[in-house]
Amino acid sequence: MTFNVTNDIACPFCGCLCDDLKVIISDGKIVDVKNACIYGLTKFLNYSLERSVTPVVQGDNGKVEVDLETAVDKSARILIDAKYPLLYGWSCTSCEAQRVGLELAEEIGGVIDNTTSVCHGPSIEALQEIGESTCTLGEVKSRADLIIYWGSNPLQSHMRHLSRYTIGTEGRFRKTRDDRTMVVIDVRNTYSARVADYFYQIEPNSDYELMSALRVALRDQEIEQDEVAGLKKDEIYDLADMMISCDFGIVFFGLGLTMSLGANRNVDAALSLIRDLNKRTKFLIMPMRGHFNVAGADVVFTWQTGYPFAVDFSRGYPRYNPGDTSAVDILLRGESDASLIVASDPVATFPVEASKRLLSNPLICIDPHRSLTAKAATVAIPSNFVGIECTGTAYRMDTIPLPLKKVIEPPEGCLSDVQLLEMILRRVRELKG
Amino acid sequence: MDLLIINGVVYDPINSVNGERMDIAVHNGKIVGHVNDSEAKVIDASNMLIMSGGVDIHSHIAGPKVNAGRLLRPEDHVNDFEVKGPFIRSGVGGSVPSTFTTGYRYARMGYTTVMEPATPPIKTRHTHDELNDTPIIDKACYILFGNNWFVLEYLKDNRVEDCAEYVSWILDALKGYAVKVVNPGGVEAWGWGENVRGIDDVVPNFGITPREIIRGLCKVNTLLGLPHSVHLHTNNLGRPGNYQTTLDTMRCVEDLADVDPILHITHCQFSSFKGDDWTNLTSAAPEISDYVNKHSHVTLDMGQIIFTETTTMTADGPHEYMIHGISGNKWVNLDIEAETGGGVVPYTYKPKSYVNATQWTIGLELALMIDDPWKIMLSTDHPNAGPFVEYPSIMSWLISKYARQKSLEKVNKKTLRRSHLSDLDRELSLSELIVMTRCSPSKALGLDKKGHLGVGADADIAIFDIDPMRVDTSKEYLKYDRAFRRAAYTIKDGIVVARNGEITTRHTGKTLWIKSGFPQEAFGSLINELRERFERYYTIQLDNYPIDESCLTNSKPVFTQSSLWS
Amino acid sequence: MMVQVKITAKKTLILPVDAEVITPDAIDSLSLSKVESLYVWEGNRRRPLGELFDVEFIDSDEDDALTLWVRGDLKSVRRIGSHMSFGRILIDGDVGMYLGENMKGGMIQVKGNAGSWLGSDMNAGLIEVLGDAGDFVGAPPRGLTRGMSGGRIHVKGSVGNECGCWMDDGVIIVDGDLGLFGGIHMRGGVILTRGNTLSRIGAGMVNGKVVVLGNVPSILPSFTFEEIRKSTRVGNDRVEGPFYMFSGDLAEDGKGRLYIAISENNHLHFIEKYLEVK
Repeated sequence: MTFNVTNDIACPFCGCLCDDLKVIISDGKIVDVKNACIYGLTKFLNYSLERSVTPVVQGDNGKVEVDLETAVDKSARILIDAKYPLLYGWSCTSCEAQRVGLELAEEIGGVIDNTTSVCHGPSIEALQEIGESTCTLGEVKSRADLIIYWGSNPLQSHMRHLSRYTIGTEGRFRKTRDDRTMVVIDVRNTYSARVADYFYQIEPNSDYELMSALRVALRDQEIEQDEVAGLKKDEIYDLADMMISCDFGIVFFGLGLTMSLGANRNVDAALSLIRDLNKRTKFLIMPMRGHFNVAGADVVFTWQTGYPFAVDFSRGYPRYNPGDTSAVDILLRGESDASLIVASDPVATFPVEASKRLLSNPLICIDPHRSLTAKAATVAIPSNFVGIECTGTAYRMDTIPLPLKKVIEPPEGCLSDVQLLEMILRRVRELKG
Repeated sequence: MDLLIINGVVYDPINSVNGERMDIAVHNGKIVGHVNDSEAKVIDASNMLIMSGGVDIHSHIAGPKVNAGRLLRPEDHVNDFEVKGPFIRSGVGGSVPSTFTTGYRYARMGYTTVMEPATPPIKTRHTHDELNDTPIIDKACYILFGNNWFVLEYLKDNRVEDCAEYVSWILDALKGYAVKVVNPGGVEAWGWGENVRGIDDVVPNFGITPREIIRGLCKVNTLLGLPHSVHLHTNNLGRPGNYQTTLDTMRCVEDLADVDPILHITHCQFSSFKGDDWTNLTSAAPEISDYVNKHSHVTLDMGQIIFTETTTMTADGPHEYMIHGISGNKWVNLDIEAETGGGVVPYTYKPKSYVNATQWTIGLELALMIDDPWKIMLSTDHPNAGPFVEYPSIMSWLISKYARQKSLEKVNKKTLRRSHLSDLDRELSLSELIVMTRCSPSKALGLDKKGHLGVGADADIAIFDIDPMRVDTSKEYLKYDRAFRRAAYTIKDGIVVARNGEITTRHTGKTLWIKSGFPQEAFGSLINELRERFERYYTIQLDNYPIDESCLTNSKPVFTQSSLWS
Repeated sequence: MMVQVKITAKKTLILPVDAEVITPDAIDSLSLSKVESLYVWEGNRRRPLGELFDVEFIDSDEDDALTLWVRGDLKSVRRIGSHMSFGRILIDGDVGMYLGENMKGGMIQVKGNAGSWLGSDMNAGLIEVLGDAGDFVGAPPRGLTRGMSGGRIHVKGSVGNECGCWMDDGVIIVDGDLGLFGGIHMRGGVILTRGNTLSRIGAGMVNGKVVVLGNVPSILPSFTFEEIRKSTRVGNDRVEGPFYMFSGDLAEDGKGRLYIAISENNHLHFIEKYLEVK
């Protein structure tokens, strides 16, 4: 048996985008991965389960396997006929594919949205009003002595975050674990809370109140309520002191803020708190981006259109207003009449009414997996796995771009998202004349 | 298809052509002596002004901090957008346009080469992706070195040649064009929320001063034979009294200069403040100009203010924090591991503001008080002092004292009383203006095929619908302003890309970068030496750091000569 | 004698329709056929107004300024009244988003519910909604940190979240309830609700006034209780309390004011202990 080892592989799973993986291949199969967490390992070993290799079209008599050209043609016709098509997904594919998606959306006058819309969209809405004091993860590794995870449980969501970037790593100015303090603020006692130096368990849906109180404490003023968010006044003063007296602090936050009562305003308060802290010490904040290239989708959308997600091309130029031009909202109002889903499974993950709406109109799905969306699609076109079977660029949660590599050949006839989207775009242009 | 441009009034200072009617022939993307009339497309440029395409030596158009500015300002895009057309992708404008719109708007103004002046090494892949999506113009990016840990360590230990090898490797690996330095040492200090206050302050934890960083990198630049000098954003930028730092900075490398300039002070307006605080801020343009007039080792670009709402963005993190403090506007900060930092803050320059009006006079005073137009180039440090689409306003102010007077009437009265500008009668000639916007930037960048219309030059040509023989630059500046906003023809690589404000074809310019002449074995040992520190300082793998040439849509490597490897 | 224009949707509109031409400013002095050929957008198709709407000119004896009667299923119709500066728009039924955005004068009345971003970035004029309105009443477009700068919005029903977001000036009256974050980041102006509000009222305010006649579940810890006030001014009217008056948001060094009706908020009576003993 021969084993080939490919080094410095970036893991196409979560926003950590760990790029030190070693993938071991034998007899044309991936047999092991070093340095990966369980998510990365599982992806590389099991990616091929539940995958399609043949395009399928929903006909009058049920599903029919077709050739690629037929699937592409049918997709193009659906998109041209549509008067308000929705192109959604994008976070689990390469920047190169996102670029083609944008060009396609512009060509057909549709709305293109990515998973930020249902994840850290509120964080971006807040950033657009307040700004954001942030950095790359290496700054945290080198300098941070206070690390706060707020509404985030990295030990279960971003498993190597601590060991690669925060308390588990040796930095130029922070050599040992004792040089750093870890705080978790959450509504429940998570795994991450259990390894923290300090854990503040707060009442659900009270993050905004806690941040208001902290900002009062920062100004050396009195908090006029004895308890806020389930914490005693003194605990809040202590937490504020800890934040003021560190040399370099950072808050990592997750869906605990964006998806609890207040959403974008929770993040608004967090960004404002960190901005205020910079009057006293060095403090930064970073959203824990979920999918491995959702940050990339925002970056690419922004440079091409000026807007990070929920981009509406229906009038021939980009427009943006989450709540109006965002996927779930469009679906709940019943406005779209066709959709193209790439590298995402919204039928499984969206609110039920939105999923029903997706299914009530022609739906094209480009995905390697036999996902729920692919199974329910009018046209399902299998693609290959970015970062395993084809190359591409992806952006880490701190928007550092990394090259994704190809470690193994895809199945015969299985093309990349980029190639498939280019084929559809070409066919759309041919049909439009 | 060949081009024959007939009967235009040509200005080509590099080739000593100063308003002559002549024909220009284009073949295969280059200017040639003649072409066969019958096979060429003829452009009748009678009574039109012809010059080479504009070269912008410093404009923030692509990369992480520019994109952070776009993201931050959806409100700036809403009312300024471009609809998809037969040859154009849609996009948005405002002070930080989207990438496609950026390329088109430069082309419409007759600009054909633009330099992105500040990219952090670890995110330069992003910068190139955006440059790839910036149509028509030729482009390049300058890589930030002034707060880079490897550079600081090499120079502290006086390992100049090793530093040169490192810099050469970075430019080659990341496809950069020049050495950029921003607030040397100060941005590293900002990693702790600090800054440096003068070129002899010691950078915390690194035991080196800005003076040593600047001198070291100038030596590196010379050793590597790079086409452009070190491109420097001074310490203390934007602070009252900072002109002293600027003079110190220029003086500190006098002894290192040979024939060519060794240092380029960028957006010098921001570095030419006299006074102790904002209330007694005045222009140090006389002092700076006096120095520049007497020395030949520095070049500058203006950083001219435009009275409008815009967005500030620089790698100078602490400076952006200060702008946030002064203005109260939303603030983005972007610190980059082991390398640099950055920030973005929207800002509005108002004519009635004493400080802003004074800033406005400083840029123009510099341009008018520096005798030699080869020493100072036109810029707004887009979008920091104003958007690039407003360059024609600056051109008007430079060629016409009436244009200046008109604006002076509207500015803060205290500024008017204290400024030198109203006493300056000088009006630049068209030739001098063309030097400042084409010839001088090309020369400073070592782009010998650009900035002129001689045989062998790149066929990057701008034709404006105005007859310089009949229209007086001084009194009829408004006509020039109008003409410069919309070229009658913009020709790029011999192809008409814009006509009267319409983009007429799809075209992709080249991305220029410095290909290292170092032998591969030398790089091998450098990389081995780097690897251990790289793993300690960074959070990505060394092997994922370089950018493959295939990542550039249209790559144009530039080769240099160096004593280190010849 | 003035012309009035009746504009009736021909069918149920499902795709989003952008109808910023339905304003007195756009229609003034145009002939009927010219009005019918003004463009609206239905999804990604540009259509003449006359294709989606029946347009009629009616002579009227009234001396009012130009009036547009807009009727039919208008839930998907956006941007009616956009940038209008004079005249009246009377809407029979529910209407979609961005009604009266950037309004500079004139009057709009909705005999039904209005969508989100009602009166977005309003400068002057009057908007009256007899039903409910959505989220972001008076709020500016994304990223802009100054909002409604004048005018008056009166919603007889309830409104959603972030009412009066970044408000600079003007008056918003809500007879029904206020959602979350009423008055968020307010910089001036007045919001009055006669009903109840959800939490985080006045969050981030730096100036301006929010008056709540109904119930408030809680006050943010960054607001400080000042005193009891008998009444307060809302626009040109005086509204009777008594009120607990709070100032804040301290998190923004704010000098905004919350007037919370004492009678509906027993759970707040504890703060009276902070009253100075006279």
